[in-house]
Amino acid sequence: MTAAGTLRRARAGLAGLLVLIALVAGLATLVIVAAGGHPRASQAQQVQQIAAGLHCPICKDLSVADSPAPLAQQIRQEIAQKLRAGESADQIRAGFVAAYGDSVLMSPPRHGLAGAVYYLPLLVLAAGLITAFMVLRRWLRAPSPDPPQAASPPLSAAQRRAVAKAVARLREEEPG
Amino acid sequence: MTSRRTRLLAGVVAVVAVIVALLMTGLGRDPSVIASPLVGRAAPNFTLPQLGGPPVTLAKLRGQVVVINFWASWCTECQVEQAALDQAWQQFQDSGVVVIGVNFQDTTGAARDYVRTDGVTYPVVEDAGSKTALAYGLRGVPETFVVNRRGRIVNHVIGPVSAATLITEINSMLLKGTQ
Repeated sequence: MTAAGTLRRARAGLAGLLVLIALVAGLATLVIVAAGGHPRASQAQQVQQIAAGLHCPICKDLSVADSPAPLAQQIRQEIAQKLRAGESADQIRAGFVAAYGDSVLMSPPRHGLAGAVYYLPLLVLAAGLITAFMVLRRWLRAPSPDPPQAASPPLSAAQRRAVAKAVARLREEEPG
Repeated sequence: MTSRRTRLLAGVVAVVAVIVALLMTGLGRDPSVIASPLVGRAAPNFTLPQLGGPPVTLAKLRGQVVVINFWASWCTECQVEQAALDQAWQQFQDSGVVVIGVNFQDTTGAARDYVRTDGVTYPVVEDAGSKTALAYGLRGVPETFVVNRRGRIVNHVIGPVSAATLITEINSMLLKGTQ
């Protein structure tokens, strides 16, 4: 084996090793991210998240998170207490919905009549697309408004002779 | 062709009729009044300190008709309904009816002054942390809940409650007897 060949093989081996290391590092990163990449939100962040999804009951168009009202502050304290007691975010939201109704939620719920705000635009869009498709197809299939006239059948020899005779007679009858 | 046009026209008329019906329904309502989901359900229990008396526990009043009125000394509309609540308390306290004033977002001193100067005769409790107000889905004061003998909320009034409303509601529950 020549020196150049040995060097080429060593380079190829090194490149392979680097690719392997990169793959292992990438996989390890993916595993770490999947296992615990999202750090657990602190309780203050959880309170903020839940409060941001609730309307302040005594304010206009302000969430519990944004409102400076004393009642909003008490709601935030209540959320924190419930979190400490082990309630989940969904349970806490459900508690407020039980007392105030769905209107306490900043976003309408996906169930019931209010859920229509999520599905109705999609339905209208689908209906519009279907209508547009049907109209377009009808236009493309419709016959042209001015169809070309069918070509006249060619004259027979007898007809040509009759035409020639008539033309000659007309010329003879012409004065001068 | 005519039949297709008729069907199309009927469809458009139906859609417009539905939209108009929805608008008519919506326009007939006061947008600021949101019905409480608690009506028909068990009244949330509470134990609250009473001004000048022992703590009041709602569960212990089971078997009586309870009128729960949320109020504050700074609330001018609360003064409007004051006489009606007192009248109901005076008229029905011996018939198994309890009127409770729940003081909301207030100070003890201001609440005491109000009770003394306005001559509030029914029990008044303090909801210092607004826990009870939150449990009742309170959106402001005054708000009044009427609880039947089985502990269920049967009526919810937003704004000043009138004597006529209170007396009619209480009388109907007393007449039913079993409620």
